[in-house]
Amino acid sequence: MPARVLLIDDDSDFRASVRSLLESQGYEVLEAASGHDGLRMVAEHKPDAILLDVMMETSVEGYGVTYALKFRDEYAECRQIPLFMVSSITESPDERFPMSAEVEMIRPDRYLSKPLDIPRFLELLEKAVAATKDAE
Amino acid sequence: MPSEPAAPETVVVIDDDYAMRLSCRKILAKMGLRAEVFEDGARGLEGVAALKPGLVVVDLKMPGISGMEVVSRVHEIDPQIIIVVITGYATIDTAIEAMKSGAYDFLPKPFSPDELRLIVNRGLDRRRLALESQQAEIERALLKRRFVTFVSHQLRTPLVAIHQYLDVLKHLDQGDNMQARRQEWIDRCLKRTEELQNLISDWLTLARVEGGTLTKERVRADLNQIIGGILKTYQEMAAAEGVALQNALPEEPLCVCGDRSCLSVLFDNLITNGIKYNKPGGRVRVSGCTEGGEVMIAVADTGVGIPEKYRPYLFDEFFRIRDDSAKRTAGTGLGLHISKRIVNEMAGSIDVESEAGAGSTFRVRLPAWREPEDSTHGSPA
Repeated sequence: MPARVLLIDDDSDFRASVRSLLESQGYEVLEAASGHDGLRMVAEHKPDAILLDVMMETSVEGYGVTYALKFRDEYAECRQIPLFMVSSITESPDERFPMSAEVEMIRPDRYLSKPLDIPRFLELLEKAVAATKDAE
Repeated sequence: MPSEPAAPETVVVIDDDYAMRLSCRKILAKMGLRAEVFEDGARGLEGVAALKPGLVVVDLKMPGISGMEVVSRVHEIDPQIIIVVITGYATIDTAIEAMKSGAYDFLPKPFSPDELRLIVNRGLDRRRLALESQQAEIERALLKRRFVTFVSHQLRTPLVAIHQYLDVLKHLDQGDNMQARRQEWIDRCLKRTEELQNLISDWLTLARVEGGTLTKERVRADLNQIIGGILKTYQEMAAAEGVALQNALPEEPLCVCGDRSCLSVLFDNLITNGIKYNKPGGRVRVSGCTEGGEVMIAVADTGVGIPEKYRPYLFDEFFRIRDDSAKRTAGTGLGLHISKRIVNEMAGSIDVESEAGAGSTFRVRLPAWREPEDSTHGSPA
């Protein structure tokens, strides 16, 4: 079964290009246009990896999703899914949340900048997915 | 002002004269202040470091560390502490010197309780003001930083989308059935380029409105003519969206005093919004009148409306309704903000009435044109 990647981003063009890229590499791609839909789809489909945009013009934005995934009980089963956060603004979580060094859980597994460095992104994704598959 | 009772402000008195310390403490305590007294400079400075007072009263003539040195050392501890120096008649010159090195004021000996009260109150007021403006400064800086982050995000988003398309195209170009997709993506890239250009030009318009260069011109401008022109321009675009444009302006001219290009931007924004946030089969109706020295223009649409909770923010910079269910409409989030700025510059007003799901009506009021009193072409004030 191909590994499934969920893209949570409010920019449909960004999703379209990344979808094509991932499909060409044999991934199955799911898309959500808002943080709210993203959370729903994480719970429903349990993807193998998540690519999450930080600044979205929707009611639940990037860190809202991270927070829910890491802290809310209904997502307990989804906590191990590799989470990549992406943004065009290179702002590390430490800068945004001065306490994040202490609250380790709110940190994404990877923080990538937009536009994606394609070879690097594909490599990181492959490794992350392989690691979770091994753990199963 | 916060309603919680503030802790009493601390005042430190440093004086080698026992009677002086005692009376100062009594007077200050009666003023509701926490008064701590010290008999020499060394102990006084320790006290200042520990108590973080709002104000320090220090005698300039003391054995040990001089009052003068105390003044500068207190400010090394905290430059915001207000310092009042006590001095004998003979040392007025020293008092002036102390003020030059940062003391707030001086009290010549002997002084009455009233004089002490007056100077302490004034000093503490001054400190409060300084702290408040410092706080405001910090808030401004924070807001500015957030704003810069936001603007760069807005500018980068379309660029990122374009870059990502091109980069993926480059990676996938071999073999794949990319031909159809390529065409589609090129179209999307062009759209996003356009979006970026709109954002930059809105941004420039805003900068010019803010700088006052766009609203400087004050000529007689007939809104009937300006709006009529705009409505004609958008006839086609509206028809494509299934929206009818109605010109319900009266026959006679509606003249205001202002800059024509600015007024065009203003009504262009309102009319295109009415079209963009509409529904097929809907309409945009522009009406107007002159009443009580004002020209009122109403732009009413039968569109999606604006939920009440968003209305207070509608004219804010970059405000866009963040509703997952809201129709995704292209826009920079600057149009209404620019409109409001223009109206303000022209000493007018703009407000909105709206019912979610049923439509919105924007009303602009601008001072009506008045013929200059003398017939020579003097510009109206």
